[in-house]
This record gives sequence, C-alpha cells and structure tokens, in this order.
Amino acid sequence: MAGPVDELSAAPEEASAPASGSGEPFWLRLLRRWGTIAVIVLTGVGFSFATPYFLTFSNFNNILFSMIVPCLVSIGLTYVVIAGSFDLSVGLCVTTTSIVCAFLIPLVGPWPAIVLSLLAATLIGSINGFLVTYGRLSGIVVTLGMMFVLGGINIYLTGGYQVAVDYTEKAFRYIGQGRLQLTDDRSTAIGVPVVILAVIFVLHLVLSNKTKTGYYIRAVGDNAMAAFYSGIPVYRWVIVAFVLSSLTAGIGGVLLTSISSSAQPVGGEGYLLGAFAAVFLGATVLGKGKPHVLGTLLGVFFIYMVNSGMNMVGFPYAARQLFAGAILILAVGANALLNREEIHLKFI
Amino acid sequence: MAVSVAEPDRDDTLVDIADLEKQFSGTKALGGVSIKFRRGEVHGLLGENGAGKSTLIKILTGVYSPSAGSIALDGEQVRIDSPLEAHKLGFGAVYQDAEVISSFTVGQNVLLGNEPGGALVDQRRIHAEAQNILDRMGIDLDVRSPASDLSAAEMQLVTLATLFQRKYKLIVLDEPTARLSASEVEILFGLIERFRDQGITIIYISHRLGEIRRICDRVTILRGGLVSATLDRDEITEERVTELMVAKSRADLRIENTGMAADRVLLEVEDLRTDHLEPLSFSVRAGEILGITGPVGGGMEQIGRALGGVVHHDGTFRIDGKAVSTRSPRASRAAGIAVVPEDRRRQALFPELSLADNVSLPVLGQLSRFGLIRGQLKLRYAREIADRLSVSPPVPARSVKFFSGGNQQKAVIGKWMSAHARLFIFVEPTAGVDVGAIKEIYDIILSLAREEAAVILITSAAEEVMALAETVMVVHDGHLVHRAPKADCTHDQLLTLSMGGRSHVKA
Repeated sequence: MAGPVDELSAAPEEASAPASGSGEPFWLRLLRRWGTIAVIVLTGVGFSFATPYFLTFSNFNNILFSMIVPCLVSIGLTYVVIAGSFDLSVGLCVTTTSIVCAFLIPLVGPWPAIVLSLLAATLIGSINGFLVTYGRLSGIVVTLGMMFVLGGINIYLTGGYQVAVDYTEKAFRYIGQGRLQLTDDRSTAIGVPVVILAVIFVLHLVLSNKTKTGYYIRAVGDNAMAAFYSGIPVYRWVIVAFVLSSLTAGIGGVLLTSISSSAQPVGGEGYLLGAFAAVFLGATVLGKGKPHVLGTLLGVFFIYMVNSGMNMVGFPYAARQLFAGAILILAVGANALLNREEIHLKFI
Repeated sequence: MAVSVAEPDRDDTLVDIADLEKQFSGTKALGGVSIKFRRGEVHGLLGENGAGKSTLIKILTGVYSPSAGSIALDGEQVRIDSPLEAHKLGFGAVYQDAEVISSFTVGQNVLLGNEPGGALVDQRRIHAEAQNILDRMGIDLDVRSPASDLSAAEMQLVTLATLFQRKYKLIVLDEPTARLSASEVEILFGLIERFRDQGITIIYISHRLGEIRRICDRVTILRGGLVSATLDRDEITEERVTELMVAKSRADLRIENTGMAADRVLLEVEDLRTDHLEPLSFSVRAGEILGITGPVGGGMEQIGRALGGVVHHDGTFRIDGKAVSTRSPRASRAAGIAVVPEDRRRQALFPELSLADNVSLPVLGQLSRFGLIRGQLKLRYAREIADRLSVSPPVPARSVKFFSGGNQQKAVIGKWMSAHARLFIFVEPTAGVDVGAIKEIYDIILSLAREEAAVILITSAAEEVMALAETVMVVHDGHLVHRAPKADCTHDQLLTLSMGGRSHVKA
C-alpha cells in the first residue's frame, strides 16, 4: 500500500530571516561595563559617610599595605584562570618561597637568596604546568597535590618553627619595611612594598595586554582547539601561565619574609580563597567576562576595602566574612546573568 | 566560468600518499589509499559519508596518525604527528565547523598565530593587516568587531582569510561552501584561484558536484575507504561520479520499505523555523518513515535538533492531534520524541558506563524498588534489549566504549526501546558504523515503523533514504526543494538535488 503523500502546506518562503543584531538596551551595556566599578565606588562612598576615618590617606595606605601579598597571589592566579585551568597551590607557594628565602639569606646573602627563592617558585610552576599539559592531568588535581607537597616541605624545612631574618639584614628588610617619604609629613609616606607592588602590577598589565604572552594565553583559554589548529604551541603557553602564577606568588613570599623579618611555617592556605574571589570578581570589571589583571587588582582592593570599612564601622568578623562571600556571588551571578549562553552545561 | 590554467606538469607531484591505512578499533576507515597531489592543482575529493574523506584529511593535517602507509612531500618521507607539525610542513586546513576565538576581534582571528612583530602585540598593525587581507578578498567585515557576533557564514570567511597569512603549500578545504551564500562562494572561488596561481595545492572536499566541476582540475572519488577513481576535469560528469561514488555494497543493502504507513497522522509540524531553516510544514503518519536528505549543513539537521529541543525554534507541533512542546530536550522526551543524534559519543552515550547502564537510563524508575536500583533486574533488562537488537557481544556489564560503532549505535537506540517513544528521529544513523552492521541498523529502523512508530530519518546519504524512507524531502540552503513519495524518486535524482540544490518541486 503506497500511501498518498502529505501535501500539508507551505512551500518554503523566500523571506530572508533577519539576523538578530546586538539590539540590547544601552543601560544594560552600561551596567555590564561599569556595574562592578560602580559598586566599588558606591561602597567606598558609603563607608566614607559611615565613618570619618575611612576616607583618609593613612587608611588608604593601610588598605594598600594589607593587600600586597594577596594582590600578587591573585594577579599570578589570573593567568592560570585565563588559560582555563586552576592553581590551588599559589597560597602554599607563598609560604615555601618565603621559607626558602629566609633560610638562604644567612647562607648566601640577601640578593642571591631572593634570586634562588624565585627560582624555586618558578620550578613549582613548571612542575604544575608540565603535569597539566604533557602529563595530561587535571589542573585541580595537580595543584591540589602540589599544595599538600609544599605543605609537607614547609614543615620539614622549618620543623614547625618560624625562621627569623637577622636584624642586621637592613637592606633586605628595607624591601618590606622601608618607607618613601615624599613630603615633610610623615603620615604621607608610602611603603616600599607598595611601590614594588605598583611596579609589578604595571609590568603584568603590559605583559598581559601588550605582549604575545598574554595574547596567546587568552587565545588558548578561550578556545584551545582553535589555537591548536592555528599552530599556536598550546602547551607552552599553559606552562607559562602556571610559571607566572607561581613566580608572582613567590615575589609575594619574598616580600612577606621581608615585611615580617621572618618566615612562618604555615598560613599560606589563607591566600587561596581570597585570590579566587578577587579573580572572579575582577572578571566582571569592565564587562570583560574573563579574568584580567586590572580587574583582579580592583577585586583585591574591593575585598580589603570592605574589610577595612566594616572593621572601622564595628562589624564583627563573622559579618565581614559573610558579606565578602555574598558580594562575590552577587557580582559573579550578575555577570553570568548579563552574559547568558543558550545552553549552559559547565559546572566548575 | 572557471579560468583556464596551464595544465600542470605531469610529474610535478607535491604530496604523494601511498597505501595509507587507518583503523579505528578494528574497523577500517581507510584501506590502502594512494593519491598523488600535484603542485598548484585544485584536487576535488568526493565520496559518501564514511567513504574516508575526513579520515584522510585528518591524517594529512596531523589530527590522526595512519595505521600504515607513507606520505611524501616533494619526494621526501614525512611524519605528521600533530597539527603543529603539519603547519611546519606547510599543510593547512579549514574545517567544516571552523572555530574562532570568540573573545578576540575579527582582525585578531585573521592573523591568529601569525601576528606581526616581536614579543609585543601591535593591535593597530594586526588590524591594518587584517583589513588589507579582507579587502583583497573582497570581504566586507569590520576587523574590530568581536568574533562572537559573527554569523556562521562570516565565521567561515574569517577562517578562510587566515589562510592568506600562512605560507602553506597544501590547503585542505572541507565543505567550505556549506555555510556560504552564492556571493560568498564567489569570494571563495576567487581566493582558490589566487592560491592556485601561486602554486599552492588545494584539496577541495564537497558534496556539490557543480562546484567540483567548476573549480577542480582533478577529482578523486573515495568509496568505502578505497580510491574508486581519479578523474580529470573533462571526465567529471554526474553519471560517472555518481556511479563511482555509490557503495558497491548497494546490492547488499537491498532493503525496501514497501510502505507501512497507517492513515493516522502521528506528527504534525507547522511553520517550523530556526535561524538556518525557512518555515517548513510537514506531517508524519504512524508507521511512516520520512527521509530527509540534503547537503551537510544545509538545514536538514535543524529539523532533528528542533524536534529534539536543543535549538531555538518557532512553530507548532502536534502528536496524535495534541499540541506538544519541544522547548527543551526534556519536553521533547515527555512528548514522546526520541532522538538518535549524529554525534553519539558526545550527545547520546556515556562511554565509561556499561551497556546496561546506558540502555536502562530512561527506565530506571521501573527497574527500582524503594528508590534503589535492582542490579539483577537492570542486567536482565539490558540483556533483553541486547538480544532484541542483536548487540554483539551481548555483555551488558561491559563499558560502552569497548563496543564497535554499530553496536554503540544499537545501544543508543536501545535506550529508547521501552521509553514510550512514538516518534523516532535518526540523524546520520550509520555514520561511523561498519558495513556489516548497517543492515542491522536498517532492520531496527524498519521494525520500529512496523510497530507503528513514526520515524524521521535525516541523512546525507541518498541511498539510505532510498532504502528506508516512504516519503522523501530534500532540504538545501534552509529551503525545502523537493517533496515526493519515495516511489517517485530515484537515487541519482536525490544525489543531484542535494548536490545542485535546484528548486525542483514546490509542494
């Protein structure tokens, strides 16, 4: 039985389907681009009204000083997240570098000690990078393992006690404790490590935005397959991202040793979560949707500004933690809402 | 018209591949292919799905490594272990589903991997050079606009533009016109002619015979992983090519659907429309197999994706007269629609899980008691399904990734066997399926229709439609160009329609 053909209806119409352009409202674009910065500014304004001590030079200086090491860790981590991976070992890397540096100063002198400890940081990043690429292991697993390994090394090296830097190491201590006084007013002096942070930040800004290193890391993180087919050495740039992460965290470790004239055996874990918070918060800055160095800086600044402000107003520690977490989820959530994909099936 | 080009020197071989073989877990995708590609020729590559075209080019571009055989470049043996290596040798490719870095601009994508200057990235120079390239190609795109805003066709043009910058000796173009409009095709052909004049060899893969005849100097036809013939331009005729392309196993596949459709209309689709498909209405009766064919990317796959709920679409759907929603895959499932998608590894299977886990997924509720899955019952159920579909080996506890392509496909079908589906959609059901298993898959599809399910078969293989379908539609460039009962169609007519896409019948 040969059935009759369905002649239901409709020859194909010749109407050309208009491609839906970028017809999104102006305010939405504005919000995406400037929303996070507006929140940062408004929060700052709010604290200024709440307490007269907030908007002062010395408080600003304090905020900057408190964020030196976390900021370096976060900036380094930014590269790895851009490249599409995770580095959970950054916090411990700070501690390890700090300990190595404190250990070597009496043995080889301060400057060789700094160089050698930064080499150690580079080695940590290289191992992470090689295992993630050529070793085909997941970034989370490798760096989680590295975190425990470094924790073990730290305890082994120190025996659980802090390593002090001798009082006579004036030049080394100047790096972390020196002040640059520009006017007669002592309260306007800027800490040397703040200046170092500023210099390193600018270097990273250039590296990530103006050089092929930053450019290719972004390409790889966005679409590794397209980069691979374009002949870009994908593995190399992933390794570079991990090295930059550890090296920048290592600079933080050296500064930490100098700031406190000692190296602590534990405590690095604390940097990790804050750094991730800053990187993801920073991704929403200027509506980029991807982490970037300037955004990370603002992210760290926001976290420490809120911390300082709430402290001054008199909020308890618990409330400060809660607020920081809520802000992070809100900012990242708002960003996700503004950049909706058709099908969302990624959960990391 | 095609420009006349001096006949290349007979012995001017650029790339000589000899006895190339490739096996995938026991299945031969290429069974000893030898082709000589000459310097400065446009060499067409034709063949039906599974003939080995994509395997061959993936070997040439370092994505796969061959199981046996050799590749010589300028007379010297070369090994191509990675796309990076292929790049260095001067082999490049633009794939069908070419990808771009979506957070970069158009200009940055055009020069990706070949940025001018040293360690610093000079955005102004990148965009100026990219603009220059696009101007010379005659592409009207803003180099500073983000790549994420590009349409599929524009994306294709951008990836073609990347070829300009790279110093290639051999360029593979895989279905480059699948997403292009007529005027964009002219841009492409201009580019190809320019490359040929520079002495670059082009391997041109297409289903569209008209294009092949226009642009290619020679054409090699693949069939079942073997070279069927290599023809010069003046030997390329429709009859000749069709004859050489069609699988010798056509006789083995002598399956006929003599008509099982009941009078009852099961599925009604009204004004189905997506970004790549013009409004289309059709219906399928219970027991009917509707075959939809056309070129890859021509819009036919949109029908399956829309009914499966995975692509944004407009239109109304009725099953057994009741309006149903296909807003999401879940809604489609609830409406009784089961899709066997083309990319089963990514879209249908859980390769690490066992056969039993895979097939029992939609019916786990029936295999559980107090919310706990009953392992023995699950295994028994899976064994039943395996017997019914003659899965071999019938070992339900085995990971699905260890089964052959054909048996994996049976596992996908088996998943929907007891799931109360009334409409089955098969997309390229025999892609990557070994010849032996093809007939078994066909038998399964026919038996579903016999049990009064409605079946939509979406495939680029014309002979598949001829073997299975009762009603045939051809979709080309997002338009329905042909609709007729199978009895009124011939295999060659369908092949011509999907290759040429001339508007033939308007229903």
